[in-house]
Amino acid sequence: MAIRVNPKLINELETYGAADVQNCYHCGNCSATCPFSKEPFVIPRRSMRHLQMGLEAKLKGTLEPWLCYYCGECSQQCPRGAEPGETMMSLRRWLTSRYDLTGVARLFYRSWKAELVALILVSLATMTAFLVMGFGIGHGSLGVYAGAGALFPDHLVHLLDLGLAALLASVLLTNAFRMWWFTTGSNRNLHISLWLYVKNVFLLPYHFLTQARYRQCEKKLPWLNHLAIFLSWVTMEVLVIVLLERLHSAETDWAVHAFGYLATIGLLGGTAYALLGRARKSETHYKHTHPTDLMFLILIAGAALTGIVQHASYRWLGLDSVANIAYLIHMMFVIPLLAVQIPFSKLSHLAYRPLAMYLAAVHADALTSRQAGAAETEPVRLAA
Amino acid sequence: MEEIKIGVFICNCGTNIAHHVDLDAVLEAAAAMPGVAVARSYRYMCSNPGQEMIARDIREQQLNRVVVAACSPRMHEKTFRGACRNGGLNPYLCEMANIREQCSWVHSDRLAATEKAKALTSAAIRRVWHHEPLESLTAEMCPATLVIGGGIAGLTAALELADAAHQVYLVERTAALGGNLARVDLTAPHLDSARDLLTERFTRVGENPWITLMLNSELQSLAGYVGNFAAVVRTKSDDDTVQERKIDVGNVVVATGYKEFNADRITHYGHGKLPNVVTSFEFEQMLRKGRIETRDGRLPQYVAIIHCVGSRNKEFHGYCSRVCCMTALKYAHELKSANPACYVSDIYVDMHAFGKGHEDFYKHTSEVKTLFLMFDKNERPVIRMADPSDDCEMLIEVNETLSRERIEIPADLVILMVGMEARADSGEVARLVNISQDKDGWFMESHPKLDPVATTTDGIYIAGTCAAPKDIPDTVAQARAAAARILGKIAKGKIEIDGVFAEVRDDRCSGCRMCNELCPYSAIEFHLDTKRSQVIPAACKACGACVAACPSGAIKGRHFTMEQLHAQIDGVLA
Amino acid sequence: MSFEPKIVGFLCNWCSYTGADLAGTSRIQYPPNIRVIRVMCSARIEPEFVLRALAAGADGVLICGCHPGDCHYSEGNYKAMRRYPLLKTLLKDYGVDDDRVRLEWVSASEGQRFADIVIDMTERVRALGPLRIKTDLQADAVER
Repeated sequence: MAIRVNPKLINELETYGAADVQNCYHCGNCSATCPFSKEPFVIPRRSMRHLQMGLEAKLKGTLEPWLCYYCGECSQQCPRGAEPGETMMSLRRWLTSRYDLTGVARLFYRSWKAELVALILVSLATMTAFLVMGFGIGHGSLGVYAGAGALFPDHLVHLLDLGLAALLASVLLTNAFRMWWFTTGSNRNLHISLWLYVKNVFLLPYHFLTQARYRQCEKKLPWLNHLAIFLSWVTMEVLVIVLLERLHSAETDWAVHAFGYLATIGLLGGTAYALLGRARKSETHYKHTHPTDLMFLILIAGAALTGIVQHASYRWLGLDSVANIAYLIHMMFVIPLLAVQIPFSKLSHLAYRPLAMYLAAVHADALTSRQAGAAETEPVRLAA
Repeated sequence: MEEIKIGVFICNCGTNIAHHVDLDAVLEAAAAMPGVAVARSYRYMCSNPGQEMIARDIREQQLNRVVVAACSPRMHEKTFRGACRNGGLNPYLCEMANIREQCSWVHSDRLAATEKAKALTSAAIRRVWHHEPLESLTAEMCPATLVIGGGIAGLTAALELADAAHQVYLVERTAALGGNLARVDLTAPHLDSARDLLTERFTRVGENPWITLMLNSELQSLAGYVGNFAAVVRTKSDDDTVQERKIDVGNVVVATGYKEFNADRITHYGHGKLPNVVTSFEFEQMLRKGRIETRDGRLPQYVAIIHCVGSRNKEFHGYCSRVCCMTALKYAHELKSANPACYVSDIYVDMHAFGKGHEDFYKHTSEVKTLFLMFDKNERPVIRMADPSDDCEMLIEVNETLSRERIEIPADLVILMVGMEARADSGEVARLVNISQDKDGWFMESHPKLDPVATTTDGIYIAGTCAAPKDIPDTVAQARAAAARILGKIAKGKIEIDGVFAEVRDDRCSGCRMCNELCPYSAIEFHLDTKRSQVIPAACKACGACVAACPSGAIKGRHFTMEQLHAQIDGVLA
Repeated sequence: MSFEPKIVGFLCNWCSYTGADLAGTSRIQYPPNIRVIRVMCSARIEPEFVLRALAAGADGVLICGCHPGDCHYSEGNYKAMRRYPLLKTLLKDYGVDDDRVRLEWVSASEGQRFADIVIDMTERVRALGPLRIKTDLQADAVER
């Protein structure tokens, strides 16, 4: 059964950032240089080819873009300037828009202005919600930051967190299921036993927490930088969700706040490094900046900065009302970041990447067990 | 009868001969043969010191015969004849034994190879005993040239010769000049107008007093030899009357061009059946008219270009037609320029972007979003009509090798890049001027690397695509090269005719006239007064047909006499 | 020790000799039993040469020329082609085996073909054994 070539697809991908993929003439230098390009994965060349030919069905079902960490070696080696690294990045964005059931992601990637508007709208909605919560439901006052009579009481914030988490989880899980379906579930050629799923399940938390595969790139600094931002962010999430009361305690709880300070430094340092790098185009993976990349970094930096203002106002300066205002603005950064970017934009990679690692290992196992019996097949293991 | 003193010179050719043949043994055997005054071995006999050695030995040892056991005489006969000349010896008193191409290089058994080398050397020594000093003749060089073919090659050659103030007869079969290039719109990769390239030449040809232009004309016959050809050209006028004109020329440039492969022969492509499958030349017509459209006048949304139609496939022609890849890229560029919304697929086997500016042009066509798809030359795409519900007219199914998928490509218009093939009348032309064709029908050059415009027949040159597929830069280069060679000959003024030809011995000729009809060059005349036949030395090509055929054994084939050949036969078997 | 036949080859300069040279440049190996004599055209080859070679001790004779239509001298190979059947009839009457004298067309680009012909012919003549015309003639001469 012949597959129809669709030359229109690369026009669509241009909005996702893939500008030069048609330059590729398949010399293979990129895959030769990629540390992750091992059987059965041909990274990035196979995806480049499918994109050039517009084989949408194949692209929708591929894991390969998620197995790439944009070290940029391929783009450096490419003799034709086809930017394979950036093409893989664009494919990740495109896949994000495909996994998303609602179609919102598609809209955001087609028009960054739409995402910006969405962020602003969510930001304003957050403001409204918090003001309603603060002045309406909680009957708090502006001059009280924590404890009784606080404008934004902890127990109400918890409820908000829960609500948001439930919403995000449901959207993300749905999209993750779609990702599984496209790449694995609907693939008639792959026969995967339940045992293979169970056997590899530890990979999910492992890759989520360590991004271990990123460490395999030749340059270690990008992994470290990313890990720093990630761990800092996870730390902050744990602090504000689980340990919110301890954070707001009148006495400084050093066990908790030390982590907070570290996390803040991590967030600011990491985002500053990334923003500077993108401005100076100092690394191959910083040469191309899509608006979603910028929005992501600015939101995190904004959240970190407002967090500092809030912390300083409350703990060091005793200016509760300033702290409350800073808190409000802080939430106006954080909620859009979580509510918009996790399900519909860049932050969704926190789910898709570990899932891709997991599924890739499952695929590899499935293929080896199919090849089992054949002499001397090198066991295909995804390096953990 | 002077004493025969033979010098035998054995070349080691580095290790080429020395490695496989025991040259000491050969030397020893040679030195022991009667008449051998000197026998030497040297590393590279064709080198200056080697040649000097021969010349010196001739002078110092008063040698009157030389045998060189080395490579093929086709390689260095001229060299060693020259060495003899330098030593003061007639060059025809030299004989070579081929102990390299036909001995050391083809036999692995050292003992057997040595025995053979001894035998071949012995044969040469016995033969050379019977050699005679032959003198060459001189003849006039007619400064006029016949150029056959009025395409870009013929025009260029003619102008080059005419600009040097020499008479040129430019014979063109059709009613118009320009050949295949006149059917082209723009050239790749620089996108010059073919019309401009040609018009410039047409004008200059028309204005040049040295060029006699003969349209609607064909060469009827060519007799004679280099410097002294007699050609008969037949011209057909508008009222169908035929005129024959005899012209005398010194040299001929054959620039008869090519014809394109008939795409109907590949049924899977549907040319001739599917209305929107066209050949490259048919597409050129569209470009020249300035309208790229399907048969029913619509703008095509999808266009596909297929490479290697009739080329690179044993079923039709095994060779590559060289120009089609760049022409295909040219079409991709022109399609995208005319309509950026058009989707162009280029379906190729390999991308031959070998020349100046070619790779850059290839990159450019990628940048304007041409989709390149690769297929294996032994598994051609298949074109069929699409469903009415599809958004395209045709679908091309192919096994795409870069992705290893079986795909179908939408197309409203398909352009077939047809290859070049030798013209149907090229065999006739070859016979008329006495040149050879290779297995694909292209005219054969004297040496594929070192002598690309001359042929094995002196005075006949080939230029352009009649010799092999090539693009315009190479065609023009060859045309100018041929003209330059001829100008060099004309400048010399006289030509030297080899002293090797057949001679009728009056005392033995019975006047049977059998030889007269045998000679393909009509070089034997019967003299009514003496009732004997005689050979015209300048016309004789020394093939030996008459020598072998004469029932009286009256004809002596100089340098290939009965005595010499008998001696050689005895020598190889000794 | 197996019998090593002696084969004389008459090759025309423009096609077959060049083809044999090409076999050399391509280093294509063939048996060393053949010794080549160059003539300008196969038309020069008189049947007498073939007979002389056989009488002088050759066990086989190979004649090579250009493919019909490709003769450098236009028709020389046709003349060789016409002489050949008459020669073969004569040889048959003399009891010379058919495989001993052979006419082949070899072009300048057919190095491999030349080698293949030589390999084949050498084996055939080897199988036939020595021709003995020379030795018989010598024996006759001694007797008388």
